[in-house]
This record gives sequence, C-alpha cells and structure tokens, in this order.
Amino acid sequence: MNGVLTLLKWVFRIITAPVWVPFWILWKLGEVTGLNAVIEAIAMSTGFYVVYKNLTRKPLRLSLTMLAIFVAFTIYGTLTAFQNAFDAGVELSADDRLVSVNKINFTQPLPISYVNRVRPMEGVASVTHLNWFGGYYQDPQNVIVTFAVDEGSFFDVYGEDLVMSEEAKAAWLGNRQGLIVGESIARLNGWEVGQRIPLNSNIFSQQDGSSDWDFDIVGIYTGSDPQIDTNSIYFHYKYFNETQSFGGNFIGFMAIKTEDPDLNEAVIKQVDDLFANSPFETETVPEKVFNKGFIEQIGNIRLILSSVVLAAFFIILVIVGNSMVLAVRERTSEIGVLKTLGFTSPRIFRMVLGESFLLSIMSGSLGMLAAMGMIGVVNNAPIQLPTLIMTPDLAIEAFTYMALLGFITGIIPAVNALRLNIITALSRN
Amino acid sequence: MTDETLYSLQKVSKGFVKGKEKITIFDGLDMSIEKGDFLAIMGPSGSGKTTLLNMLGGVDQPTGGEVWFDGSRVDKLSEGNLAKWRANNIGFIFQFYNLMPMLNAAKNVELPLLLTNLNSKQRKKSVEAALELVGLSDRAKHMTNEMSGGQQQRVAIARAIVSDPKLLLCDEPTGDLDRATADEILEMLQLLNREFGKTIVMVTHDPAAAKYAKRTLHLDKGEFVEKDLVA
Amino acid sequence: MTKILSQIWVVIVMNITSIGQRIWMSLAAIFAVAVVVAVLLSFLAMTEGFSKTLEGSGSNTVAIVTRSGSQSELNSVLSRETINIVTTAPGIAKDANGDPIYSPELYVIVDGIKKTSGTEVNLPMRGISSVGFELRDQVSITSGRMFETGKNEIIVGEGVLREFAGFELGTTVRFGKTEWEVVGTFSTGGNAFESELWADAPTLQSQFQRGSSFQTIRVLLETPDDVSGMAEMVENDPRLFLDVVTEADYFAQQGEALNGIVIFGWIISIFMSVGALAGALNTMYTSVANRAGEIATLRAIGFSNTSAFFGTLAESIVLSVIGGFVGAMASYLFMDGLSASTLGASFTQVVFKFELTTDLFINGAFLALGIGLIGGIFPAARAARLPVIVAFRGAN
Repeated sequence: MNGVLTLLKWVFRIITAPVWVPFWILWKLGEVTGLNAVIEAIAMSTGFYVVYKNLTRKPLRLSLTMLAIFVAFTIYGTLTAFQNAFDAGVELSADDRLVSVNKINFTQPLPISYVNRVRPMEGVASVTHLNWFGGYYQDPQNVIVTFAVDEGSFFDVYGEDLVMSEEAKAAWLGNRQGLIVGESIARLNGWEVGQRIPLNSNIFSQQDGSSDWDFDIVGIYTGSDPQIDTNSIYFHYKYFNETQSFGGNFIGFMAIKTEDPDLNEAVIKQVDDLFANSPFETETVPEKVFNKGFIEQIGNIRLILSSVVLAAFFIILVIVGNSMVLAVRERTSEIGVLKTLGFTSPRIFRMVLGESFLLSIMSGSLGMLAAMGMIGVVNNAPIQLPTLIMTPDLAIEAFTYMALLGFITGIIPAVNALRLNIITALSRN
Repeated sequence: MTDETLYSLQKVSKGFVKGKEKITIFDGLDMSIEKGDFLAIMGPSGSGKTTLLNMLGGVDQPTGGEVWFDGSRVDKLSEGNLAKWRANNIGFIFQFYNLMPMLNAAKNVELPLLLTNLNSKQRKKSVEAALELVGLSDRAKHMTNEMSGGQQQRVAIARAIVSDPKLLLCDEPTGDLDRATADEILEMLQLLNREFGKTIVMVTHDPAAAKYAKRTLHLDKGEFVEKDLVA
Repeated sequence: MTKILSQIWVVIVMNITSIGQRIWMSLAAIFAVAVVVAVLLSFLAMTEGFSKTLEGSGSNTVAIVTRSGSQSELNSVLSRETINIVTTAPGIAKDANGDPIYSPELYVIVDGIKKTSGTEVNLPMRGISSVGFELRDQVSITSGRMFETGKNEIIVGEGVLREFAGFELGTTVRFGKTEWEVVGTFSTGGNAFESELWADAPTLQSQFQRGSSFQTIRVLLETPDDVSGMAEMVENDPRLFLDVVTEADYFAQQGEALNGIVIFGWIISIFMSVGALAGALNTMYTSVANRAGEIATLRAIGFSNTSAFFGTLAESIVLSVIGGFVGAMASYLFMDGLSASTLGASFTQVVFKFELTTDLFINGAFLALGIGLIGGIFPAARAARLPVIVAFRGAN
C-alpha cells in the first residue's frame, strides 16, 4: 500500500512538473538573490505574509480546494470563449449590411433579376447575391460552407470584413473556376493557392448527373477581426449556373450594403414593397437580425453553456465556502490569541477575507490560464469551429467572479472571526 | 493611588447569566498593583483567577466598578481602543504557548510589532533583541512546532516582551512543563522583573512557581483571602 | 473472514453515525456529486431524447428514395420520370389492384416562430398523399380533420403546436403569398414527423412553383429491411442517380447528429467531477482526522487496518451514492419529458423531449461511484496507516 502511494505521489509530481518546476526555479532564484527576504519583509508589514501562511498551512486541503476552483474557471473561461465566438457572428455583423431572403424561408430561392432591380435604389451602395451550394470535400460528412456568389460585386459588399490582396481578387475575377477560401478552412484542409480541388454538392448535380465540380484555389482571405469566421469558401455564380442541372437563374439571397445604417429602414421598405404580391416576396432584415435568428435555430446554446458554468460555480461555492469555514474554525484559538495580542477585530476580518480572496484569485487565474491553453488546443484542432479568443472583457469578467467568489466564501468565516469572543476562543483550547 | 501604582481595581464586580441563573464572580473587588511588582495569584479552580487575569488583560470587562491603568481609566474603552491599549501595554504568556504553528519563531515574535509603526528594519532589530534575551537567537528560523515545550514558552515570552509592554500577564506559564524547564522559565520571568523592571502578574496552581514572585495573593470565591503559606 | 466483515461494519457504523459532526462538509460533498451527475444526465437525456425521436420515426417496412448524395430529404430532387421508373422496381409491396404502394413527397422549409425565443425558425412542410399518411406508423388525427386534396389546407404535428406559435387549429397561416388553413392536428407517437406541417402534395407543388418534381418517395417494402431489389435496379439503370435506404436507417443516421453533445457532456462532467472529487477528498480527510482517535483506539484493541480502510471507503461511497441519487432525481424531475427543439439534419427544427432511461441512470451511477471510490481511497489509506499511538494522545 505504502509503495503504491509513494509511486502515485511521484507519478503525480512528474506529471505536474511543467506546472511547478518554473515556480520552483523562481523561488530558488529568489533565495539566492535575497529577493525572497525582501518580499517577505514587505509581505510581513502588510499582514499579507500571515494571510499567505494561513492559506498554505494545510497543503493537501489547499491543493484540493484550489483544484476545484481551477477546474471551475477553466470550464468558465473555455465555455464563455465558445459563447463569445457564437455571439461574435452577431456582434461583428456590419450595421450597414442587409440580407434579403425569400419571405417563405431563406432556403427558398429568389429570381436573379431582383439584383438589378435593387441596385439602383436610393440608399443602396452595392448589392451582391449568394447561393448555398451544399458543398462537401471528399467525404459527405465533411461539409464546407460553400457559396456561389456574384464575383464582381462580392467584395463591394463584404470587403470590409473579408480581406484579400488585390492580386488575388484579380486572379479570382479572371478565372471562371476560381475559388477563394478562408484562412481557417484552408489550414484545416491543407489548401494552398494554386491547388486544384474537387468539391461535391449534396444539393446540385452537373448536367451529366455527377455532383463533382473542379475548382482552382486562387486566393485565401482573412478576417479583418480575429473573430470573423473564415470557414467559408466562395466561387463564381456563372460557373455554378451554367453547369448545374436545375433551377437556373435563381439565387439564394441578396446581400445589400446601404450607404448609411440610418437608411436601413428605408431600403428595407423599398425592397420588400417592390416585391410584395409577387410569387417571390422578400423579407429583408439587417444582417445582425438574420445571424441572430440563424444561431437561435440551433437552440438556446447560451442557456446550456451558462447552466453548465453556473453548476460548476455552485459546486465550488459550497466546497470552497465549507473549507474556508472549517479552516477558520480550526483556528479559533489562534484568532483569540491574535485578538489578545491587540489585533483588532476588523483587522482579523480583513485577514480572513484576504485569505479567501487570495485563494480564489490564485486558483481562478490559473484556471483562466488553463482556459487559454484549452482555447489554443480547440483552435488548432481539426474541427470546423469559430476562432475562440480570450478577450480582455472576458478576463475582467473572470476577475470579477473571482472577487465575488472570494467574498462569498470568505464572508461567513470572516464575520465569525470578527465576532469571536476572546474568552470563548481561548477556553476552547 | 500613588504614581507608583500601575493598576488599580476599585469595587470591581463581575457576573454573568447562565441560563436563568445569575452567577456572581466578583462583588466589589479592590486591588492595586505597584509598578515593578511580581505578583502571583493562587486559588482553587473556580475562584475567579482566570477571570481576574482576563480583566487585567483587557480581554474581559467588569460589570461594575472602575479599572485604572497607569493613570487612565480602561474599563470604559471601546473594543477597538482596548485592542490598541493591549498592544501597547500588555504582554501575554499562556499555559499552552499559543504560538502560530505556520510561522517560524522570529515571525511569531514579530507579530505584536505589526501593530506598531516600526519599519521592517526596526522590527527585525527588536525581534533579535527579544530572542537574544530568551536565549533563542540561533533558533530564529525554526518552526515552533518542532521545538520543545520550554523553547516554545521562551518564544512566547519573547513575543510578550518584544513591544516593551509595561505589564506581563502569565496564565499558568509552567503548567505544561517539567520542573527543570519550569524553573528556567520562572527564572527568566524573575530576570525580566528585576533587571528590566517589568511588572508581572502570574496566575498559577503551583506553590513552587509562586515562590519566584515577590508576593502572592490567594483568591477564593472572588475574594482575596489571607493565607500564610509563603514562608 | 466474518471477523473482518464485522470489524469493517463497526468502523462503517462509527463513521456514518458521526457524519452529523461534519454535516456541512458532508452535504457539500453530496451536493457537488449531485450537481455533476445532474449535468451529465441532462446532456445524456437531451441526446437520448433527440436520437429516440428520430430513430422512432423510421420504419423498417418503408424505404426512402433520395437523389444520390443528397444526405437529407431537403436536398433531394426527383423528377416525375425518375419516380415512374423506380417504382417499377422489385420488392415494393402492391395494393389490391397490383399497383406499387408508394408516396412521392415534397419537403419545403417555411418560417415559424419559436415560442421560447420569439425568433424565426425553419419548419418542414411536407406535401404528401393519403398513401403517405398511411405509411407512417401510429399516425392519427388528434383534432380537426385531414386536409382535402386540391385545397390550401394543412395539418400540423403536435410537436409543432408545442414549440412554435401560430399553428393552432382554425388559424390561417401565410407563407409568402400563399395562405393555408390549419384544419387538423396529428400525432405520430412522439417521433420527428410531429415537428412537421403536412399538406396535399400537388397543391404544394403548384403553390411553391415545383412543377411536377418531388423530393423523395417512400415505398412500402414487401419484406421488411429488404431494399436489395430496388438497390440493384438503381445500380444497373444509368438513368437513376439515387440512394435507397430503409427509413429506419435514414433516421438512425440523422439521430446521430447530436452524438457530439454526448462527448461534450462527458468531457464537461468529468472535468466537473474533478471539482466534486476535491470536495469529496476534503470531506473524507476531515472525517479521518475527526475519527483518528477512535480509529486508533479500535486498532489498539486489535482491529485490523483493513477495517479502518474499508470503513472509511464505505463512508465516501455512501456520500457519493446519496449525491448521485439526489442528482439523478433532480434531473429526472426537471429534465425528463422537457420539450425542446433544435436544427436537424434536414435543416429544419426537430422537436424532441428529454428522455432519462435506465441506461442513462447507470451512467450517472458509475460517475457517482467513481467519485466516491477515488474520493475515499486516499483518505482510507491514511486511516489505515494511522499510527496506533494516536489513540493515547487524546482527541487532538
């Protein structure tokens, strides 16, 4: 039994070496240079030293409690980054961009003639059209967001979000089978400019019955913001329209760039009024509204993610709260002694609260670091996901929660310590 | 009351309510402690000696009467002011040492200095002096739970004197120690009293310990009684 | 052997009767396990409900024919000509007149409003015939009547009524320029068809400009599960680019869409278990510390260290089993039968109910036991190694 435990201990130490070795080296350096002594003296003056020593006096309990907080913040950081990535699709939508779809549903087509009727409208800066292609690469499961677009006007509407060199744009315009691909999807599939790839469609077939289309990758675009999704690919509508076997001269939807977001309402009214009572009525909405609705079709992801985070926080709240109460109760007589020595009750209150803050912020920060690591792993994983990033806002939010956790878990023991009567405290010994 | 009086209790009463019963510990107790005194208080369990010590130390308040310390009244001080007053004037020595197990000897001794305005250099100097006095200079960095009882009590004494208080209060300081060690500790207290002029009040069960004091008071049922045990 | 067991029993009783002394710690450990188990079961119940709903939709006596590679009904297109050819294939059941029993169907997406979010979502609107209606298992009109051919009338599934606004019996709904009257509601026993709107196929063709094309056909098979006759014909006829699968297989594959959620749920739960484990370990170490005197005393009078080990382990397992039970009960009360909808493989909403089955409870029980076991084993080892001398040192 003992042998097994010792072995486990060593296995644990070796596995966790990357975490503790850097700290150990820092500590050694501090010892050699005398920096530790200076820090210690400062810490002692502020009372932080006693707080720190109190916190670390039971290493096993401390590491378990830290582990619980660590895990909760890792979950929080990672899931919130996910949530932000989903939200980014909505938040990063351009204010001056409208989406005009068939009123029945956006999967229903619109006649291509609509584009030219919208273009001259007052307030419309530019308009382009897109068709969902239902593309997949090699395996039917490997679905790729593929659109057949009007190559001439595409960058007029999307140019502020999707960035590509002028040479690549020219190459795209000049190649009927030209395909432009997003940075993420290119990395995922190992695509490079100049490569010729086949794509299949699970909707359309060529006139000869096959569902293969050949494309030349002519450009790789990036997002103007790191959270802009670059998993989509775009090719010429003409190539699509001329080769596919049914439903010609129809488009999926129009994307309209207005001259000013203030003109959105007027443009929406003009477009929808123009096509009202035709066999293809339109429903035009700001891109933001469209994207939001699209994400909500999947379900309330926000609710699911925040429930999980809430559950994780609830767990640590009871665990950490309990061990803080326990830790302070075990120290009852010591607190009595400190009070006897002349430490005032508010000072002891602050010491206990400081301890729970320290615990929460230390372990929470480590959790957020781990979350950053997880984000890195997810971003490099071979799956199609939006890019996750740890935003400053998220970090600030995390620290707020750490502070809140520190306060909630510390307040009860701190009040207990504040109220502790010296005589009762000492007689418990 | 003269200038030489450090502590004066005038008609002090103390009682508390336990359930429906009202228990009186002191009823009109008078007491006076001169500066430089080394006073032993003896008495059976329940005689009120611990309560008396607690009142002297300002951790317990009387329910009636007046308490004067060095010319000012202390029984009406607020809890916060009382804490400050304790930090400035009183040094405590407990039966079970009551050191902080997570701090080393020097840090334990330094604790009371955190309540003063001394900077870290000054604090270090005072700690060294106090440890020197109790003969533990070489053990400054040791953890107290690795020390013997006698050593721990010496650390506790160093902690009690480091901020140079006027009065040392000792609650059974040798109760947990063997005879030889107890004698060492008591000699040290005697030294502090004689050479450094510390006023000391010591509560003890042990007549042998009481012999080290200049005088002994016997407490029984809340009153001082005359007993001629001291030769 | 019995001696050991009775020794263990004494320690277990001693530990468990003293739980009251550290009631808050024990409750915290129970709570943490409960939350972890509840989270796991919620994810599993969601996926289970979703896949059950889809799997329940497919019949093995019906084959579904789609354009090759289309993956879902939505993407498929079949011309009248193709349908005429393929329905002559062998293996299709015949009616009294000797004609093959099949249902050509249209599948279009229309907008509905999801009640919980108030946003527009994709709803499937299916054009069928009376044959198509009969091809569904357990199908019944629950209120109103069947739509009439040639009229703009729809019947709506009960799932649609539950999750989406504006489809109550008697209301008129507008899709683009067309208006449809809700004349009935139907049930198909809780499967995916209940998330659909059904209308007369030729009417839908004309109102949605679909000409004479359909998207899929469903055929009744002579022999359940046997699509070989049709598959062979499709393979040998160069005019046909089709996939033929039984409806059961088709939906089983769609039911796997949320399987990623199961993995996600497990990852999250295991991660959270680490937190709960920390709580369990804390509680158990405290318990051992509290019991140290008693354990050592028992050791001093001749109890084995095995009894100390198992006694402590048992306490941990009891706590986590209670936690697991509480978590399972909570998720059963709050999650089982909960109605929800998400985007299915055909790009339309699938309405499903969370479903907690015995299998899932076993998963939860394993997780709870795992936490109890690991959370107990290290403190138990400490209890077993407690030096007997502790007994003579008093309670401290």
